[in-house]
Amino acid sequence: MTQMDTHQGNPGVTPARSLSERLKDPALLLIPAFAFLGFMYLLPLIDLMQTSVEGDPWWADLQRVLSVPLYFDSLVRTMNIALTVALLCALIGYPAALLIQRTKGITQVLVAMAIILPYFIAILIRTYAWMVLLGRNGPINKFAVWIGAFDEPVGLLFNRGSVLLGMTAVLLPIMVLSIYSSLSRLDPALVRAAMANGAGPLAAFWRVLLPLTLPGVGAGFLLVFVQALGFFITPSLLGGPGDMMFAMHITQQADSITGEGFLQALAVVLLVLTLIVVAVAGRFLGFEFIWGGERKAPMPKARETLDRPKPSRGGVKEALADRAGWPLLRWLGALNARWGEWTVRVLAICVIATLVLPIVVVMIISFSKASYLTFPPTEYSLRWYEKFFSDRNWMSAFWNSLFIALMSAGISVTLGATAAMGIVRSSIRGKSTLMLLLVSPIIVPPVVLGLSLYSLFLKFDMVGTYWGLAAAHSIGGIPIVVVIVAAALQGVDRRLEQGAAVHGASPLTVFRKVTLPAIAPGLGAAVFFAFLHSFDELVLTLFLSSPRMKTLPLMLWGDINYQLNPVLAVVSTLEVLLVVGGIILARPVFARARADT
Amino acid sequence: MTLKLADPVVVPGGADARRDDVSRAGIGSGITIENVTKRYGAFVAADRICLDIQPGEFVTLLGPSGSGKTTLLNLLAGFQRVDGGEIRVDGKPIQNVPVHKRGFGMVFQSYALFPNMTVAQNVGFPMRMAGISRADSDRRVAETLGMMQLSDSAAKMPSEMSGGQQQRVAIARSIVMRPKVVLMDEPLSALDRRLRESIQMEIRDLHRTIGSTFLFVTHDQSEALTMSDRIAVMDAGRIIQVDRPETIYRQPCNRFVAGFVGESNLIDAEIVRREGAALVLRTKTGHLFRSPAPDEVSGRNVTVLVRPERLILSDVPGQESIPARVKSALFLGEILRIEVTLDSGETLLVRCSDSAGQTLPTPGSTVHVSWGMSDGWVLA
Repeated sequence: MTQMDTHQGNPGVTPARSLSERLKDPALLLIPAFAFLGFMYLLPLIDLMQTSVEGDPWWADLQRVLSVPLYFDSLVRTMNIALTVALLCALIGYPAALLIQRTKGITQVLVAMAIILPYFIAILIRTYAWMVLLGRNGPINKFAVWIGAFDEPVGLLFNRGSVLLGMTAVLLPIMVLSIYSSLSRLDPALVRAAMANGAGPLAAFWRVLLPLTLPGVGAGFLLVFVQALGFFITPSLLGGPGDMMFAMHITQQADSITGEGFLQALAVVLLVLTLIVVAVAGRFLGFEFIWGGERKAPMPKARETLDRPKPSRGGVKEALADRAGWPLLRWLGALNARWGEWTVRVLAICVIATLVLPIVVVMIISFSKASYLTFPPTEYSLRWYEKFFSDRNWMSAFWNSLFIALMSAGISVTLGATAAMGIVRSSIRGKSTLMLLLVSPIIVPPVVLGLSLYSLFLKFDMVGTYWGLAAAHSIGGIPIVVVIVAAALQGVDRRLEQGAAVHGASPLTVFRKVTLPAIAPGLGAAVFFAFLHSFDELVLTLFLSSPRMKTLPLMLWGDINYQLNPVLAVVSTLEVLLVVGGIILARPVFARARADT
Repeated sequence: MTLKLADPVVVPGGADARRDDVSRAGIGSGITIENVTKRYGAFVAADRICLDIQPGEFVTLLGPSGSGKTTLLNLLAGFQRVDGGEIRVDGKPIQNVPVHKRGFGMVFQSYALFPNMTVAQNVGFPMRMAGISRADSDRRVAETLGMMQLSDSAAKMPSEMSGGQQQRVAIARSIVMRPKVVLMDEPLSALDRRLRESIQMEIRDLHRTIGSTFLFVTHDQSEALTMSDRIAVMDAGRIIQVDRPETIYRQPCNRFVAGFVGESNLIDAEIVRREGAALVLRTKTGHLFRSPAPDEVSGRNVTVLVRPERLILSDVPGQESIPARVKSALFLGEILRIEVTLDSGETLLVRCSDSAGQTLPTPGSTVHVSWGMSDGWVLA
């Protein structure tokens, strides 16, 4: 330990080291994860890009993608939808984040759970819940007919509106978490200072709160936008023929094997688009936004040139602010202060309702007796639970998913935790680049990843194998583990370790007795989330499983597309119980982790 | 309960009053705090507090953490609502006036400068909110920055400045409107001692210049003694004693105030007899001494406060002196700090100023402790 510190102290000086010393360098811990990701993730993506440019001339396939109106229009539509969803999330996510920040005690826990819990439930299941909610026999239609708004049930599904609603509901938790983390870092005295200086609630929000949390809003916006670009499940299930998003074309083409090269070119276009967005965003926000980190150096220098008003400027902007902006804020400040409070409350409660209600409806429907979806159920029974537990196909899919998820969690935690250790504890150069590489699978559209892995799996005969799927799921599991464990490691006080070493503990003992207990809550959370990630994974599995090897999400996907029956509701309910149970079991651990920070 | 637009209530120092005040130095408001109570669940943070503050006065709320001083300040600022009692500013109740219309200046412990604005924009913020014209506001901001010796920093961002400079900006922001009341919540506690002392003097001068009523919260007794016209000592949600600094120091009303403000020797004694305006008392060691009699004494046993600097050490016994053994002796520069133990086991602290030729007594040696008749204060 001490030896490592001397290296950190003067990175410029590298004294000659013996081999055994060099083998102790924590940077070596990065090797397994990078070897794995290099083979499973980078190599297939490079291969994909190569295939896409094998035409003659090399840009032939890419050019075809952009010149066919079907695909070009879909590309524009995809960006359009992603942008709208990101905007919607920002607009309704902010009040929800404010509500978490402003409530206290048990209310805060409940509000936060209502918003965060859905995030851990599979996208497939949340989308299915919306299908139930918006269906012809769903509660919304029933309610509207009952109050007389509709004469008869209306088709609410399979249009742009339902796509936007579903995607916004699915991606909203990301936005809320991003804004909340930005809000919680602010000094609460700032808002008080604004108010004490004569600013009404709205003025305090507009002039102080919003400008200071803009990085959080920006990060949330980009994460939502990038994920929405590659979205596949929700638009497939909720959209009509006019709402085809780009990722859907890729899977469609993969099914009807067209020429080699064209399919890959489609994927490359989506990948490059995503990477450009991330690169541009990273320029302004810092790439840390991907893993929810805060840019280390704040940027007073950059502002200097931008914000500093020259003494005698009197520009248009200032004049406008004086004539319109400030008087408006003053006028709004004269309004009853309770209004702002209530606006936040009402909006946030709507948000929570949209997140929680679908799940509750699905849970109720799982106890229905009818063989079709109707809400509220006319009679209750456990017949669909019996069906699920007695059906061989469902049960084997369940066991497959469980095995794969356990294996994948094992791989992810082993590789991810060692890599996190290597990143945090080594004095290796270019740490943020390495971190960026480790977490980059989060931003690659799963459809692109699945397609690239497919040829690798064919080559090595891994299609439909446990290990193959577990390894594929670990590509997305490793970033989750790295982010959580790296944060936990950074929270460990190095002086505790040094103290143990001074009192005669060997490096291994120090790790076992000091470091490991300190990061145990983080490791536990990492295992749980890596497990859930694999257990819920659908898109990669669609590409990589064989007809003989079905996972639970795959069975769900098949049934949702062909027969909407209440067994799906049963599976959804069980998954929700799994997530809730996991979080409740882990609560003491989380509580300890929070107390530590 | 909240203030409606058409409400005829004229808010002292509110948005309308502010506009007129800008051109002339403000004259502070009188504040009346009457039976104010604030509860958090079962915990009573402020317990029927009464305090009258004169216009233009500098009052410090002094107390340990959790004593309710910040709660009281927050109630006055309007961040929290009063559960019982009433707060009046210039005779008008302010409970139903929202924070942003109370028109007070406020300085926070964490500075709370808006990091997205320059120094000039920070100081100009209250002026923008009050709707003062750009020209007037620029002039006033420049003038206020000048008062705080910040003229060169107008275009800086707060993050580019040291803690002391940031707090100066925060102070400038709180007085730029020349408010009738300025509230300061432990503004100097994050600064180092030297800086703290120099800003203490600046705040003191500022108070004299602009004439607003200042309410200052601190847990640092020396800060309270230096700056205030009056100090309100608080403990467990109540005000224990309100008085001028020297009265608080010399004539504390009970053991808590005596112990919290300054260093103290508390000597248990028994009343022997009354001699006119003085009491004759006997220590546990059996020695007799005299002290001025307080207005009322109950019982025979009392506690006498003698400040360490009032004690006199001598090598030879004198009249009314008590023999003691030296426990420790420290040389602190301008003063000597000596601990002595009486035969009764009580330890007394003695501080005497350094002088040429004075030697530190050796621990274990015998000395004789005495104090003048007016140096003891009998605690009721």
